[in-house]
Amino acid sequence: MAFAPRSSAPERPGSMVESHRGYDPRLWLFYGLLVLLLAVLTAGLGYQQLGRTDLHRERETVQSQRRVIVPGPRGNLFDREGRLLVGNRPRFAVTLNLDELRTEFRREYLRVRRNYRETGDKDLPNATQLERIARVSVVQSHLQIINRILGTREKVNPETLERHYRQARILPFILLEDITPAAYSRLLEQLPVNSPLQVYAASTRAYPHGRLAAHTLGYTASDDDLAVNEGLPGAELTTFKMRGSVGRQGLEAALDTRLQGQAGGTIYRVDPAGYRLQPALEKRRPLQGEDIVTSLDLDLQRAAETQMAENGLAGAAVALDIPSGEVRVLASHPDYDLNDFTPRLTEKTASGINAQGAWLNRATQGLYPPGSTFKLVTALAGLRTGHIRPDSQVECTGTYQVGGRVFVCNNHRDRGILTLSQALEKSCNTFFYLYGLQTGIDAIAAEARLRGLDRPTGIDLPHEARHMLVPDPAWKEARRSDRWFPGDTANVSIGQGDLALTPLQMACLVASLARGETLTRPTLLHQNTPSNRPQPVDGIAPSARAAILTGMEAVTNTGTGQILQTPRFRVPGLRIAGKTGTAQKATAQGILNFAWFVGFVPIENPQIAVAVLVEGDTPGEDVAGGRYAAPVAGAIFRAWADKTGQYPPNHTATPSPPSGG
Amino acid sequence: MPRFDQARPLLTLGIVLLVWLILPTTIKRATRLGFYELQAPVDVAASYARDLQDFWSQKTRTKNELIEAARDLARLNASYELRLQDDARLRNEIARLEELLRLPSYGDFRAEPARVVRRDFSAWWQRLVIRKGANHGLTIGAPAIYSGGLVGRVSEVHAHTAVIELISSPGLRLAAVFDGDDRPVSFQGGVNAPLRPAEAVLEYVPLDVFATPASPRRLVTSGLGGVYPPGLFVGEVLTLEASTDGLFKTGRAVLDPRLGRLSEVTVLVPLDPAP
Repeated sequence: MAFAPRSSAPERPGSMVESHRGYDPRLWLFYGLLVLLLAVLTAGLGYQQLGRTDLHRERETVQSQRRVIVPGPRGNLFDREGRLLVGNRPRFAVTLNLDELRTEFRREYLRVRRNYRETGDKDLPNATQLERIARVSVVQSHLQIINRILGTREKVNPETLERHYRQARILPFILLEDITPAAYSRLLEQLPVNSPLQVYAASTRAYPHGRLAAHTLGYTASDDDLAVNEGLPGAELTTFKMRGSVGRQGLEAALDTRLQGQAGGTIYRVDPAGYRLQPALEKRRPLQGEDIVTSLDLDLQRAAETQMAENGLAGAAVALDIPSGEVRVLASHPDYDLNDFTPRLTEKTASGINAQGAWLNRATQGLYPPGSTFKLVTALAGLRTGHIRPDSQVECTGTYQVGGRVFVCNNHRDRGILTLSQALEKSCNTFFYLYGLQTGIDAIAAEARLRGLDRPTGIDLPHEARHMLVPDPAWKEARRSDRWFPGDTANVSIGQGDLALTPLQMACLVASLARGETLTRPTLLHQNTPSNRPQPVDGIAPSARAAILTGMEAVTNTGTGQILQTPRFRVPGLRIAGKTGTAQKATAQGILNFAWFVGFVPIENPQIAVAVLVEGDTPGEDVAGGRYAAPVAGAIFRAWADKTGQYPPNHTATPSPPSGG
Repeated sequence: MPRFDQARPLLTLGIVLLVWLILPTTIKRATRLGFYELQAPVDVAASYARDLQDFWSQKTRTKNELIEAARDLARLNASYELRLQDDARLRNEIARLEELLRLPSYGDFRAEPARVVRRDFSAWWQRLVIRKGANHGLTIGAPAIYSGGLVGRVSEVHAHTAVIELISSPGLRLAAVFDGDDRPVSFQGGVNAPLRPAEAVLEYVPLDVFATPASPRRLVTSGLGGVYPPGLFVGEVLTLEASTDGLFKTGRAVLDPRLGRLSEVTVLVPLDPAP
């Protein structure tokens, strides 16, 4: 066998042994490309890490942090003497922090699934359903602890729990609301400090005087869209808001922006499942809203409302501080208990208020014919134009014919010659028919407009009536396409016809008259300096004013308002100027009477102006101003006199005798 | 081999830790309890030794001192006798009023005096170990008192000892009232450093309650929480501050310094414990 010698020929390509004599130039191209790609990657990385740091940090923050907004308690409302009218009360609730129950949820989920499998149930719920069952079970087990401590039998509402879990699991889940101090104490002592069950205190509106000044103070309603202060950090984060409150009526609504507290906030880091991680990253406590001192006078308001409740009829009462225009009483009856609105108004209570017609604030929203109280305006118009002089007289025969129509004067029995003062005292229609017609509707309407009776007063309350009416020929032509008759003027002269005014306007009218000015801008905010002055003077001659005031004083001494001299209302030494009125209005039920009283005290140094309206509720029933409205004013005057300490007390609680109006 | 020998202790420690980690919780708990019960006789013996020490130190007193002490004791007993009579009268009055107002009557307690064995004070818990336990019928949650008021509540009960969490501990919370007021406020022990005067945190204090160093307010148990009888002194409030939310005030209560030196307490064992 021949042995072949080892060949010395060069190795063939593809052999197992490779040798590189040098780099292939094409590789340089590859390397260059690789370096380029790496450079792009490095540049991209650098750009992302350095150039877009803020953006990524923000994204990470938004993704991993949540903000919880807590409303600030509303400010308090006080009366002019600093007595609390509206405040806040703590409302204790038992809450459960779901984020501390993750392990329990998981354990319960496994247990429930195992139970299903062991029982061989073919209808095994899917994973989502099992998770839901587990959550309800765990939360119910914690609620059982509460039930054991408080002796209750509360159960978890699965829908509420699921909604909370899906939408706001970062917030504590409320198990029990509005618990009593005794229950709160038991839980405080018997729940471990580190338990996921906690006692939580929120603020809710409290009205210590219940129904008092209900329409004026107003109420709040819950507000899901809580306003957040711009200075609160974390505006870019997903935000969960606790429920706040917003003013819906009365001062609560009018002063809402001032009363609203500043919301506080807490920023938490959350895990991918949305559970918060303790401790909080940032926390800012809520701040209470502004405390406001109103012009209301608790004593006078209470006196007015007590007397109105005794009447048992719907109505309104307004009392103004004459020098400043501040409202000391603003009452409307029927009313409602403001505490029924917290935490929320039930349907039953709402329908009860509705049935009574108690939603309406009759003092600022009710429009009524002013009746004989408007004779003051007619008198002022006649005195201004010279058609009436302080010594003007008329012979009242009980009727007065205007065109083909006979107008009657049933207000008094003492027929004969009456002066302006006596006409006011007796509320003689004949006098005002005659001089009203002589003065003319244009002058009467102009006087009413001069005194602001054709427009809202601008009081700081929402929803003041806007459609008050001082009729004149132009209005009748425009509205009814009809011409103005002398009978219309006669009607307006005594406050009937289409006149429609609010009790607040009448109070402003009397306050202005008392000051010798034309306008009073009422306000519910108490200020130590009179901000209402000066208003235009009314230009009525002193002798003319004296004639009117003499008549108004006589009203309360010997005239239609003499009930104020009965022992129950009489304040020795207090001189009262007043005017009663009884207006009729055709309604769907028939013709109803409205009783009025307007007046002020004391005549020599006017301080308090009052307007009271009482609605009759039965067609044909004689609801006269002297009998129903004057006592309310009397109660206010007496309460005011008691407070001044300048008049000797004369309290005799005898029932009010009937009197004419 | 020498290198392995050197590492053996660490290896053993690692194995022990691993075994401890994987042990079932029940065994761990039993081990801890067993260790505690094993340690308890030592603590109790030490306590008896201290009592004996106190006894012999009292023996060194002169006869005059003893006579004086006996007189003081007699006076004290007489005053207590009077207080007991008053107490009986007040109890009857309370029972009558409860009956009249149809108020629920709180369960009575059995007094169980116990010597303090050990004191554990740290910033996070403040507790006493006493020389009575399940053998004397003590139950978890039972309040403990002393001559100055409330001490705390029983947080653990062992066979012969029990642990009392002091009212200065952050883990203890109760519903207290200001003396003369009936509105409950939250009282919780503060984070108190050792050897410093103990304080507690007050929350949910009504806005119309005022306290100043010049006119401090006494804080007592409310009796509303179902754990502590009413009227036990818990502390004195020197300052209150309105919280920013305007709803409440917050403040701090100064606790009696004797709480840190107690040698004997009385546990109030409920006769009719809540289920």
